[in-house]
Amino acid sequence: MTVNKIITGLSMILRMLVRQKIVIVLLLIIPAFFLTIVEFTTSDRMLPFQLASLDDDVFINISEKGISFIFFAVASSGFLVSFLALNLIQKNNEVNRRLIICGYHPIELLISILLSLFLVIVLIAVYVGVLTNAFYTIDHLGRFVLGLVLIGFVYGSYGLAVGSLIKAELEGILMIVLLVNIDVGWLQNPLFYAEAQNQIIIKFLPAYFPSQTAIITAVTDYSAAAATVNGILYGLVFLIFSMLIFFFKMRTK
Amino acid sequence: MILNSEHIAKSFGRNIVLKDISFQLEAGSITGIVGENGSGKSVLMEIIVGVRSADQGAIIRNGSIGYCPQRAVLFPHLTVQEHFIYFSIAYGIGNEQSKKRSEELLQHFNYKKYEQEKIINLSGGTQQKLNLSIALLHEPDLLILDEPYNGFDWDTYQRFWDYTNQLKDRGCAILIVTHLLSEKERLDRIYELENGILV
Repeated sequence: MTVNKIITGLSMILRMLVRQKIVIVLLLIIPAFFLTIVEFTTSDRMLPFQLASLDDDVFINISEKGISFIFFAVASSGFLVSFLALNLIQKNNEVNRRLIICGYHPIELLISILLSLFLVIVLIAVYVGVLTNAFYTIDHLGRFVLGLVLIGFVYGSYGLAVGSLIKAELEGILMIVLLVNIDVGWLQNPLFYAEAQNQIIIKFLPAYFPSQTAIITAVTDYSAAAATVNGILYGLVFLIFSMLIFFFKMRTK
Repeated sequence: MILNSEHIAKSFGRNIVLKDISFQLEAGSITGIVGENGSGKSVLMEIIVGVRSADQGAIIRNGSIGYCPQRAVLFPHLTVQEHFIYFSIAYGIGNEQSKKRSEELLQHFNYKKYEQEKIINLSGGTQQKLNLSIALLHEPDLLILDEPYNGFDWDTYQRFWDYTNQLKDRGCAILIVTHLLSEKERLDRIYELENGILV
């Protein structure tokens, strides 16, 4: 394994991403669009609710608008990173294989892809965090951005797993949109979750721990360490799964 | 001997594509494999380069391989020059050598003016020139070409054969796979792939 190959791979992948207009448009437009919709459609009424990761006697008082901004920031970050991760691993599959025939090791290529994804996650988390803060003042912006990095990590790993398993682009996008919509876009919304039945099902979905982390860090002074660690472990399962599939598909026979 | 293929067999479900393929390639030779569309030529090439595994048999290679797939397999959003850089790194070619080789190939196949263009903006013929150039970049001992002149104009076709003959003189073993072979006198040996066997 050579550092030179990994750095060249990283540089080429980033160039390809930046040159795709759809990627730039999605990155800039989707979070701004989601948050603008929240601004125009939600009210300022106060909604006390409980968070699953905190003690039973802890009630959080926040406006409907405030919690919706936080929740939609998480949703847009998860969706964007997942889509880009799918794009990174699924597109150019054939030419990546050609690189491997020519001398790249699958692990070298995989590390380049993962480093690119990490940079994309951080970029999206910072952009969405700052944008959310412009609409609604976040108490702990730095920690909130880390929560967005966590949802990016979990859903990015999910996107990699889907992209490794599914060859066709449209089916891959459908798998991502379906889960993001049901999980991040609906079930993890604390306003729904607080009164939901069979909450155990919701706890097993990918966005559960990152959503808890993002909300706790954004509006409370409580520690989100447990939810963060669990979120990292959840993301690692997807990540290892996708890495194994990629390696076995791409290695030369 | 640069390549030895021993009793290669490959099936996809009940469809037997290759039954018992054995042949050898010597240094400084040009060998052709012809066959109808769907006869399994590309599958055989993919087994030789290691993209696919054979159900039975073995491939023994001695030396480096240059592989030019049938379709131009390139990154749509990278430029021609970036492809040369990326694949040079893959081959382990140094910076100076890479520049020298890419310059030589750009000049020989007459597409230097597209060096800074992204692949997505290039014609099919120019993409095919780069597809071939990538296989030639590291001066391989064994060159495997799957329908290499698809989309070439007459001038490029002639340049292709000039270059191939130069490689042959330098000791490279060349395997050309095609469904249409018009100039049989250019090849040292021709096999026909028919019903999964070479005749």
